[in-house]
Amino acid sequence: MNVLEQTWKWFADPASWTGAGGIWSRLVEHLGYSGLVLLIAAVIALPVGVLVGHRRSGGNVVVGVAGALRALPTLGLLTLFALWIGLGLTAPVLALVLLAIAPLLTGAYAGVSAVDPVVVDAARAQGLTEWQILTRVELPVAVPVIFGGIRNATLQVIATVTIMAYIDLGGLGRFLIDGLAVRDYSRMVASMILAAALALVLDAVLAGAQKLLSSPGLSKED
Amino acid sequence: MPETAATAIEFAGVTKRYESAVAVEDLDLAIPAGLITTFVGPSGCGKTTSLRMINRMVEATEGTILIQGEDNRDRPAHELRRSMGYVMQQAGLMPHRTVADNIATVPRLKGASRADGRARALELMDTVGLDRKLAKRYPAQLSGGQAQRVGVARALAADSPILLMDEPFSAVDPVVRTDLQNELVRLHEQLERTIVFVTHDIDEAVALGHRIAVFGEGGRIAQFGTPEEILRAPADDFVASFVGRDRGLRRLTFASGQELPMHPLEGGTASGLERPWAPWELLLDDAARPAGWRFGEREVTGGTLFTPGGSLREALDAVLSSPSGWGVAVDDAGRAAGLIASDDVMAAAGRERRSRYGVGE
Repeated sequence: MNVLEQTWKWFADPASWTGAGGIWSRLVEHLGYSGLVLLIAAVIALPVGVLVGHRRSGGNVVVGVAGALRALPTLGLLTLFALWIGLGLTAPVLALVLLAIAPLLTGAYAGVSAVDPVVVDAARAQGLTEWQILTRVELPVAVPVIFGGIRNATLQVIATVTIMAYIDLGGLGRFLIDGLAVRDYSRMVASMILAAALALVLDAVLAGAQKLLSSPGLSKED
Repeated sequence: MPETAATAIEFAGVTKRYESAVAVEDLDLAIPAGLITTFVGPSGCGKTTSLRMINRMVEATEGTILIQGEDNRDRPAHELRRSMGYVMQQAGLMPHRTVADNIATVPRLKGASRADGRARALELMDTVGLDRKLAKRYPAQLSGGQAQRVGVARALAADSPILLMDEPFSAVDPVVRTDLQNELVRLHEQLERTIVFVTHDIDEAVALGHRIAVFGEGGRIAQFGTPEEILRAPADDFVASFVGRDRGLRRLTFASGQELPMHPLEGGTASGLERPWAPWELLLDDAARPAGWRFGEREVTGGTLFTPGGSLREALDAVLSSPSGWGVAVDDAGRAAGLIASDDVMAAAGRERRSRYGVGE
């Protein structure tokens, strides 16, 4: 029996799905960690990106910071933080937040700064305050690009939350680490399939949300 | 139109200095209420900067600007801006909002309900000649001329006595531009707002402005007056060169052609029985409108027409563009009313010139 057949057999076994270490509970853990990481990263990165985009200066700093963050190896960071702060949720969440900041920051910055300056100038000349320009013009126009950053960050975080299992936490990575420990390759494959499927589902949900929030006037297909 | 209008906007010693350059220097200017004042000049002369200082899109470095007697810094910039319409070169419409929502921007900012804003937007679409069917379109679906009309409607929605226009028609094609210019004159007659209109095109400045401020280099006003004054007596070489070589011709725009002798179509002038335009023959259609000229067997398209109340410039053009050298005058219904001789036009231009300088017949 090859690995894929064994993987299929594992999926087909109802016992794999239920219980404390079953697929459902790991899935919920995985979603929980990912949600927490994305929430923290978004609270930090989105306002900064939007603000820098609105001011239309300091873009170089944003691009530089995002580039530097992208270059950091998350597994290395996780090890570093775990040694520094100790085991627990803080170290991996911190490492993953740093991973998620880069796409969120660049998406927010690029989206807002790409709004046609003529439109912003016209809005200001009509008497919109700076806050109204941001909330009623720049953000609505930037929705597609900002969502691009959010989807990008979500994909990366879903894929990388698997490393949480490395320091004895849950999530879909559990099957990967545990499978590796006992040379059960089918479970490792299953872990990857589950993470990929979760990423695809979430991306589809976010694409739907993006479509709902974007004005029809912004799509060029008309 | 009132001869001595009240002042709507007054610049008093206004200077705008940037780190490296002076954009506008010590500007004193009283813009009359209820008229169209055009700011014209070469690029970099400070005309747009001066316009943008009125609604504080640019803050003056020195001096004060009074709007109906009130310092424009007395209230927050965004409130000041809501109190006057602003139209720019590219319409600058919000791409995520429909045409109606774009037009209703200022009423909505001032607290109008969605329904009231929409009703006002539809009204204004009629005013600027936009089909109401376009109300639910998005800006990306409009032509350049339509977008510019939406921009004008949005500016009118402020319901303010003052309208600022920054080269609003320079990005649309010439035919649409002429349309929009005529429309603006019509709107102005209807709404009687004070309009400040920036352009780099002297023809546009002359066609639209009741008053023209010619800006020279370094942000000074080289001359301020009526179009006629500026074309007739440019204050200096700069203004003379800016108003251009055609200014002799343009000046004829202000001279009436009503005194021109009209030669009857059937000929028989004082000189005798001959039609002096022979061998050319004027063709008329069934409704007695001019339909070209015939020369022997050949039929040739006619020239421009001289309409009732037309200027000497129109008369001269009718003469110059006519294959026979005789300008065709028409009545209000477009029917041929008579012919104009080129000598008569030149004589009229000469009389106008002599009377202007007060030199005897």
